[in-house]
Amino acid sequence: MDAKISPDPHRPVGRTDDIEIRLLLEAIFQKYHYDFRGYAMASVKRRLNQARQKFGCATLSALQDRVLHEPELMTELLSFLTVQVSELFRDPQYFRTLREKVIPHLRTYPSLKVWIAGCSTGEELYSFAILFREEGLESRTLFYATDINPEALKKAEAGIYDLDRLKLFTENHRLSGGKSSLSDYYRTAYGAAVFDKSLRKNCVFSDHSLATDAVFAETHLCSCRNVLIYFDCALQDRAIGLFQSSLIRKGFLGLGAKETLRFSRRSEAFSEFARGERLYQKRDLA
Amino acid sequence: MLLIGCLSSRPYGHQRQTVAAVGRGGIGDATLINLLKKAATDRQLRTDLIISLSLAMIAVFFVISGMISFLNVRTLNRNAELVAETHEVLLGLNNIMSLLKDAETGQRGFLLTGEAAYLQPYEEALPAVENQMMALERAMESQPHQVRRLQAMQGHIDSKLAELTRTVDLYRQEGPDAALVVIRRNRGKADMDAMRGLVSDMQDETRSIRQARLVERQEAFVTAFASVLISAVIGVILSVAITWMISRAATLRRRSEWLQSGQAGLSAALLGEQRLDQLARNALIYLAKYTDAHAAAFYAADGSAYKRAATYGVPVDDDLPKNFTRGQGLLGEAVVDGKAMVINNIADSHLTVGAALGQWRPKHVIILPAKSDGVIEAVIELGFLHAYPPATADLLERASEVISVAVRSANYRAALESFLEETQRQSQELQTQSEELRVNNEELEEQSRALKESHVRLEQQQAELEQTNYLLQEQAAQLEVQRDDLSRAKDEVDVKAIELEQSSRYKSDFLANMSHELRTPLNSSLILAKLLSDNTGGNLTEEQVEFARTIQSSGDDLLALINDILDLSKIEAGQMEIHPEPVSLKRLASDLERAFAPVAAQKSLTLITRLGAGVPETVITDRQRLEQVLKNLLSNACKFTEAGSVELAILQDEGRIVFTVKDTGIGISPEHQHLVFDAFRQADGTISRKYGGTGLGLSISRELSRLLGGTLAVASQLGLGSTFSLSLPLANDWSRDELRRDTKVAPPLPAGLPEPLPERPAIPMPRSDVGDDREKLKAGARSILVVEDDPSFARILYDLAHDLDFLCLVAHTAEDAMATAQQYTPSAIVLDVGLPDHSGLSVLDRLKRDVRTRHIPVHVVSAGDYAHTALSLGAVGYMLKPVKREELIDAFKRLEARLDQPMRQILIVEDDEVQRHAMCKLLASQDVECVAVGTAAECLEKLKDQTFDCMVLDLSLPDASGYSLLETLSQEESYAFPPVIVYTGREISYDDEQKLRRYSRSIIIKGAKSPERLLDEVTLFLHQVVAELSPEQQKLLKKAKHRDAMLEGRRILLVEDDVRNVYAVTNIFEPLGAIIAIARNGREALDTLDKTQELPDQAIDLVLMDVMMPEMDGLTAMRKIRENKAWKKLPVIMLTAKAMKDDQERCIAAGANDYMAKPLDVDKLVSLVRVWMPK
Ligand SMILES: C[S@@+](CC[C@H](N)C(=O)[O-])C[C@H]1O[C@@H](n2cnc3c(N)ncnc32)[C@H](O)[C@@H]1O
Repeated sequence: MDAKISPDPHRPVGRTDDIEIRLLLEAIFQKYHYDFRGYAMASVKRRLNQARQKFGCATLSALQDRVLHEPELMTELLSFLTVQVSELFRDPQYFRTLREKVIPHLRTYPSLKVWIAGCSTGEELYSFAILFREEGLESRTLFYATDINPEALKKAEAGIYDLDRLKLFTENHRLSGGKSSLSDYYRTAYGAAVFDKSLRKNCVFSDHSLATDAVFAETHLCSCRNVLIYFDCALQDRAIGLFQSSLIRKGFLGLGAKETLRFSRRSEAFSEFARGERLYQKRDLA
Repeated sequence: MLLIGCLSSRPYGHQRQTVAAVGRGGIGDATLINLLKKAATDRQLRTDLIISLSLAMIAVFFVISGMISFLNVRTLNRNAELVAETHEVLLGLNNIMSLLKDAETGQRGFLLTGEAAYLQPYEEALPAVENQMMALERAMESQPHQVRRLQAMQGHIDSKLAELTRTVDLYRQEGPDAALVVIRRNRGKADMDAMRGLVSDMQDETRSIRQARLVERQEAFVTAFASVLISAVIGVILSVAITWMISRAATLRRRSEWLQSGQAGLSAALLGEQRLDQLARNALIYLAKYTDAHAAAFYAADGSAYKRAATYGVPVDDDLPKNFTRGQGLLGEAVVDGKAMVINNIADSHLTVGAALGQWRPKHVIILPAKSDGVIEAVIELGFLHAYPPATADLLERASEVISVAVRSANYRAALESFLEETQRQSQELQTQSEELRVNNEELEEQSRALKESHVRLEQQQAELEQTNYLLQEQAAQLEVQRDDLSRAKDEVDVKAIELEQSSRYKSDFLANMSHELRTPLNSSLILAKLLSDNTGGNLTEEQVEFARTIQSSGDDLLALINDILDLSKIEAGQMEIHPEPVSLKRLASDLERAFAPVAAQKSLTLITRLGAGVPETVITDRQRLEQVLKNLLSNACKFTEAGSVELAILQDEGRIVFTVKDTGIGISPEHQHLVFDAFRQADGTISRKYGGTGLGLSISRELSRLLGGTLAVASQLGLGSTFSLSLPLANDWSRDELRRDTKVAPPLPAGLPEPLPERPAIPMPRSDVGDDREKLKAGARSILVVEDDPSFARILYDLAHDLDFLCLVAHTAEDAMATAQQYTPSAIVLDVGLPDHSGLSVLDRLKRDVRTRHIPVHVVSAGDYAHTALSLGAVGYMLKPVKREELIDAFKRLEARLDQPMRQILIVEDDEVQRHAMCKLLASQDVECVAVGTAAECLEKLKDQTFDCMVLDLSLPDASGYSLLETLSQEESYAFPPVIVYTGREISYDDEQKLRRYSRSIIIKGAKSPERLLDEVTLFLHQVVAELSPEQQKLLKKAKHRDAMLEGRRILLVEDDVRNVYAVTNIFEPLGAIIAIARNGREALDTLDKTQELPDQAIDLVLMDVMMPEMDGLTAMRKIRENKAWKKLPVIMLTAKAMKDDQERCIAAGANDYMAKPLDVDKLVSLVRVWMPK
């Protein structure tokens, strides 16, 4: 069970593909500084095997060979290794709870900083921006939207989504307790919806890895959803440590629907704020 | 009845309780305690009953024995009476006889004399006899034959008396003869004789009765005596028995109380949701303390074996088994038995008691298998050095079930927890799979669409491709050849570059370290050698004095070398300052001549100085440095010349002035000539070794020459002599810019961060150096934590703390200090800055950022000068080593004063009456007093003569804006300025917020949740030690400012959007005299630079630039800065949160001079700024 969660680098692993994965991740790290070594083994294995097929390599070692010698392949491989799935107001209840329980606290601060870690293609950021605008906090808030996938970041900055996803988005927005019509925030053109530029006026998009980088700002709210599921325990702890040191005293941390602090080494540093919705508040002592 | 009831209800209750304990830890525990209490009460009742029963028995016994005594006494009495009765009878019989004789005598007297007087006894005897007879009759009532005899006697008496009466009557009537006739009939005598016979019979009978009665009495007496004796003995026995029973009951009660409180305590210790190891540890601690055990071990069932879960008082290196199985060893036997096992006076147990001072084997051991529902969940072993409380085994027996149940529920909990964790992991895994699936799906759709499109285009492209293919192949071949060549060349260059970089880095590191590390010890050994060679004590031999002198002179040499190294490293680091001034060449020449004449004379060399034609009077340069170079050249010349001359010539040559030093010495071979200026290279060679000197002189001279804008060259022929020429520009432009370039031309900084001091590895320090009171520490005790790596100074502080009645903790490293502070939260801390692992300042910073420790006053002691940083980080005081004892005492006293904090006071400034009242209500508490005012004027009034711990300020006041009030407070010295919490109803613009942040760390906008936050922030303020500065501290600060003149008045532009960092950086640099301008993003930074460019007195000297910022990020701004010609040389240090090397390279590539990784380290940042700050 242990081995499944966190590959212990010191323990010899017999299986060839495990060795190959380890070596490949190491190679990627050394060459491109993308650190996937602390990711959940099962997922990484699946992603790499798909990539291997896609690139037509017989073995992972062959893939490694190509990745090392064809830097442009890395961009593509990155899109395999980082899974870009997102929606506007994904899990509407989460945003509803934010709106009802967290926003009143945030209102007491003259200026706010919100960190959306692993923002993917930006849906989460736009959800927050719309939510904060509806609640009248947008003007005093600065968002940091970070991710390790530069392609995703570019898409996030563009804010253009397929028109056929809008139906779901609109429904989610409504369920999250949206106070306005979602169509106020986008224009449609050429089968796509372009989100209002002004929504990202107060946003810094940046390449930032939870696996290797340090804290960059003091924040009032960190939302990191469906990112930790790809990490093993140690890496989850590291990421949570970053949020802990970034958050102000009594700051808020939001996680994805299947993520929890319960088994983290740092669970002591947070208290559950809204249980069903994985919203935590940093404790005094932390 | 009651007892039976309790007992019969027990099994049921017991079962239910077990189930409950397993199901829900907490509730089960409570039931358990109740049950225990009940059982204890049962036992209590039983002993009470026995005691009362025996008391009742005693009472009954005493009543009975009393009654027996009473009866005895009565019998005795009666017997005495009876004896007395016989006595009376005897007496009465005698009486009667004597009365009769009296009567007879009287009659005879009368008959003889005829005198009536003789008749008196006779007359008196008549009634007396009657009385006596009646008395006798009464006395003899119970004896019938005696009565009969008495009646017979009565007959005789009657006849005798009748005869007497007749004779008397006859005498009187007929005269004596008639009377005599009657007498002679002898009837009277016969009566008397018969009577005598009867009396004697009766007397005999009575005597024998009396004898019998006496015997009877004797017997009664003996019986009485015996019964008294017996009852006394029984009484004693009973009393003893009862006493024994009562005392036994008391012991039992004490024991049961002991057991009961032991069980209750144990249950309490096991209460709550504890992990197995916590549980085991708690159980052990409790049991060991309760039973005075010295060592203990806890084994919990783990499958079929038992695994050690906790120990108590056992040394780490003990050979105690980690686990055992059924039947293995004593522990295993105990499991088989299922009963507690007590072993006394054992020779060798596997348990060991360990303390700092030694290890012992316990003499007595109790092993307890903890069992419930027939399953042994744990085994506990207790070891005792001495005898243990007698009920211990019993207690353990009883605790067995509690422990077992607790262990079981802990195990259940752990299992549950791990199941939960597993489920959580699976659900995460599922989520990743579902996300992946979605992506795959999308991708598939995308692919099939793309496939169709591309298929059409493919045909067409195929043709095109084939055509171009041929061409391409051709080109590729060519390119490949070129590329190979290129890459080979590049590789070579790269290798060279790396080598170069490395050697220069090694050198810098070496220089920095060595000079610093060597000077200190050398200084003291020089002083000591000097003391020795002075031989003030007069007790050294000539030879020894000579030795001392040798030590001193070698030391001097060494010091000279170190000074040289230091010089060199200074120049290379660009820290050597140049002070240009007009230098008279004539004077220079004559000074030098005077200085070297003695040396030359000693070696019989001719010393010539020559001033060439057209040489100007003066040249503008740094006299000291120029002299240093020339002296070095001259002394080398003298040193390497055995015969001939040394010549110093000053000439002019095309706008330059040339100083040549020419000798006729050994000369330098052509292959060595280019090496002589290289530091260390030459030192490897043999030259310096042969002729003494550091070998660095020439390197320094060359660097100095460069600094002065000149060059130094050598021409020489082996065996003929050498000529060194220093050429300086005549007219040097000593403008600031030029200088800056020159000083900076010095070698490039190594790629890594230039560090102020190389980090030394953490050395684990044995704590035993200086003792420590951590064992003695109790909650509420006054304690001081001394953080000091020098054991002797730590010792001094330790003793001082004791003198002042503090307990003292000692930590030697920064990590240790943090850990100790967090664990023991001492009342105060004395902190050294120079610690082996990290700077003490980092400790201070961490202490002040940790809620648990930030209230602890810290006094900083240091050999270096960090006064300002320390105070601004929140230290209460600062001392520079060496420190006098009085100063130390003073510091301790100040810490002490801190500890006796009076009532906290809060000032509330709020214009709205209702809110003011509400806030007072909210904030006031037992030890917090609120003073509320409504206007700025009132606020000032209050602050003039009172100090507050904290102030809550509304921004809109009727007479002034809150902001201007704050400004006034910060400027006017006459007001106290407590920490401020701004509490305002309106939103605040970013700029206003920045302005307010200067005075107030927390700003709260009123709203639904604001009271909660206000209370929270106020509480926080009140718990932290406010870093207000006393006047002497302020003086210290001013001094500190002057010391760091380099930053005084310099302008630093901080481009950063994170308030926390803005605050920190401002706090670091402003006290050092630097002026901080702030830009929130790249664009603002460019604006600020633009604006200040034209104003010479506001020009920015250095920029600290964050990378991640809104609007324009740091890298873009950096590039823009470098695009502008005017800012080409502006030093910019970038602050980055990215850890990757390439990110940092990107900073440099964008034009940054240096970078620093976040989180920011105060010391590093200051030194980095010092390095880059233009001189
Ligand atoms: C499934 S998406 C989550 C998107 C969004 N937060 C949501 O819940 O809708 C996961 C994102 O995490 C990003 N990510 C993966 N590893 C990361 C790391 N080490 N640091 C930052 N982001 C990372 C991936 O690039 C991807 O965009």
